[in-house]
Amino acid sequence: MKRVLIALSLGVSLLLAACGGSSGATNPSTGAPAVVVPTPPAAQLTGAGATFPQPFYDAARFAYNKKFSQVTVNYQGVGSGGGINQLTKKIVDFGASDVPLKASEAAAMGGSDKVVQIASTLGTVSMAYNLDGVADGALKLTPDTIAGIFLGKITKWNDSALAADNSGVNLPNQDIRVVHRSDGSGTTYIFTDYLSNVSPDWKAKTGGPGKSISWPVGDGAQGNAGVATRVTQTPGAIGYVELAYVLQTKMKQAALKNHDGTFVIPSAAGATAAANAFAGTTPSNFSIVNAAGKDSAPISGYSWIIVYKDQAEKTKGTALVDYLYWLTTADGQQYAVNLHYAALPSSMASYDLTTLKGVTFGGSALLSVS
Amino acid sequence: MSKGTAERVAPPPLVAAGRQRRLIAGDRVFEVIAYGAAALILLIAIVFVIALFIPALPAITEFGLGFFISRTWDPVRTQFGALPAIYGTLVTSAIALVIAFPIGLGAALFLAEDSRLRFLRGPLSFAIELLAGIPSVVVGLWAFFVLTPLMRDSVDPFLNHTLGFLPLFQGSASGYGFLTAGVVLAIMVLPIMIALSRDVIRAVPRALREASLALGATNAETIWSVILPYARVGITGAVLLSLGRALGETIAVTMVIGNRPQITGSLFASGYTLPSVIANEFTEAVGNVYLGALFYLGVVLVLITIAVNVLARLLVWRFTSEATAA
Repeated sequence: MKRVLIALSLGVSLLLAACGGSSGATNPSTGAPAVVVPTPPAAQLTGAGATFPQPFYDAARFAYNKKFSQVTVNYQGVGSGGGINQLTKKIVDFGASDVPLKASEAAAMGGSDKVVQIASTLGTVSMAYNLDGVADGALKLTPDTIAGIFLGKITKWNDSALAADNSGVNLPNQDIRVVHRSDGSGTTYIFTDYLSNVSPDWKAKTGGPGKSISWPVGDGAQGNAGVATRVTQTPGAIGYVELAYVLQTKMKQAALKNHDGTFVIPSAAGATAAANAFAGTTPSNFSIVNAAGKDSAPISGYSWIIVYKDQAEKTKGTALVDYLYWLTTADGQQYAVNLHYAALPSSMASYDLTTLKGVTFGGSALLSVS
Repeated sequence: MSKGTAERVAPPPLVAAGRQRRLIAGDRVFEVIAYGAAALILLIAIVFVIALFIPALPAITEFGLGFFISRTWDPVRTQFGALPAIYGTLVTSAIALVIAFPIGLGAALFLAEDSRLRFLRGPLSFAIELLAGIPSVVVGLWAFFVLTPLMRDSVDPFLNHTLGFLPLFQGSASGYGFLTAGVVLAIMVLPIMIALSRDVIRAVPRALREASLALGATNAETIWSVILPYARVGITGAVLLSLGRALGETIAVTMVIGNRPQITGSLFASGYTLPSVIANEFTEAVGNVYLGALFYLGVVLVLITIAVNVLARLLVWRFTSEATAA
């Protein structure tokens, strides 16, 4: 990934040097050579959508404004559905969603050829639990036991199915209290995508992945923070929580058995590994759960940004693609990594670049990156 | 009010002609502002109802009245029914009233009737105002962190131990669910319950009270057989207004009810209420039918609360007009 970016930045800096607009510097936090990105024209950009990537988008937009003070970016974390709505009504310049557009949503925007979607970041989901005497990372869960618990088939912590994977762990004779999200969320989508992938029973019973679903068992709590607090509060509880929240609140999380049969503790690196296992990921083929590879974190997923392919204003459109391109480079991605999101794999970054090059005004491309 | 009337009403000698014209102009301006404000309220109410109804239409046409009796809430298959949420709303509100009614009435009687501990009235009234002023999200926070562990570890096991022969108090208690939500609501409706009952009891004519005491009745007998029967209608109104508050309460309930659309006999079990479903799911509700179902829930909630409030107002109004007439 680094090699590609360096090559890319070299090419760009040569180009920009020729125009006299180079701003090459060393990235202070990573020490890597900073990526040279096009200098955007003055504009005010507005985006709305998913809350899961909001901390990243907020950190990134401040940093971009520091770098290029002529561009301000506003982002409203109103939920993916709200973001898609506002983009459809052209109230905002870009929408953000944890799940790419459905055919019907794209049709409302004028058809799937009228919009482009790029992956902005990558997250992974942990199974957090509250069990006295079972240390962080000591509990081992397999696809079967996770599905069993969330289907309501495994109801006690000392169930033989759990005990089989956890020899040496003292599992209590205690009710399992399942906690899930009560609000519609991309985290729920990734988790139910995973369950549907590993358990035909789950898929048959719930109808497949969704941002909010009809849960066979358990209680709902609002937001990642709500589930995290609820699990921390309730003895015997288990819930799925975005990795960042688990790390911030120092919850206990389980080791998860991945596709290759290795037990891994979910991590940002594990999410990138999972993403790398799926080479041809596109908005229409976006699922990366239960990925192959020994390091892959099994419950991972991308978050997406949606813009219109043909921009209505040249200046604003140029600033938009310049900003989004920067977001997918190492310079933008560092703000994701700082917040425990995973960096985009190089294959996805180059997919994003190609996609952004397809954004036009009056038939000509707006992004000038070679 | 026409210009002619205004001129006739104002006696000419008291005010100079120029000043009078200014007064009339001022009257006109005030009139326009007042009418405008009144019309605006009406407009807001109408627009509100329309704005609630139109987005609900896709769900109304899809599910019709079956929405009221369906138990399914399945966004993936876009099948929606309101019954579990209606059930949860009614059950939690009922629990709230069962708890708040005796406590509220007792406190109201103390405030209105007891003359011995008069010095306690001030602080007590102040405490009630204070309770009424606490934002519901703060009550919810307290409930989430303090009440739920208390319910799980003490109250629920105690109820299960003593009243466990009733299906209401069976099952495993997580601390979240109908009962906890009902207790939270009881705390939130108590101030309304107390304040309204107190006013109603105070409105009982003094003559009745004195007649009862003169006939040799004790304080307790007077309260039991004169004041309470007389104030019955007004107190019912107070109960219904409390109910209206309980039905619509959202955030504090959402934090402790467990958010699970189910209908069970146990009060320890998790449930869902109409406002909670809406608050939880609207941000990611994509598709006209899903969003429509949430608006349909809003319509149901508005219908229930309007019915309760109208009934309550009628009762309170009937009582106060009777009391003034007496």
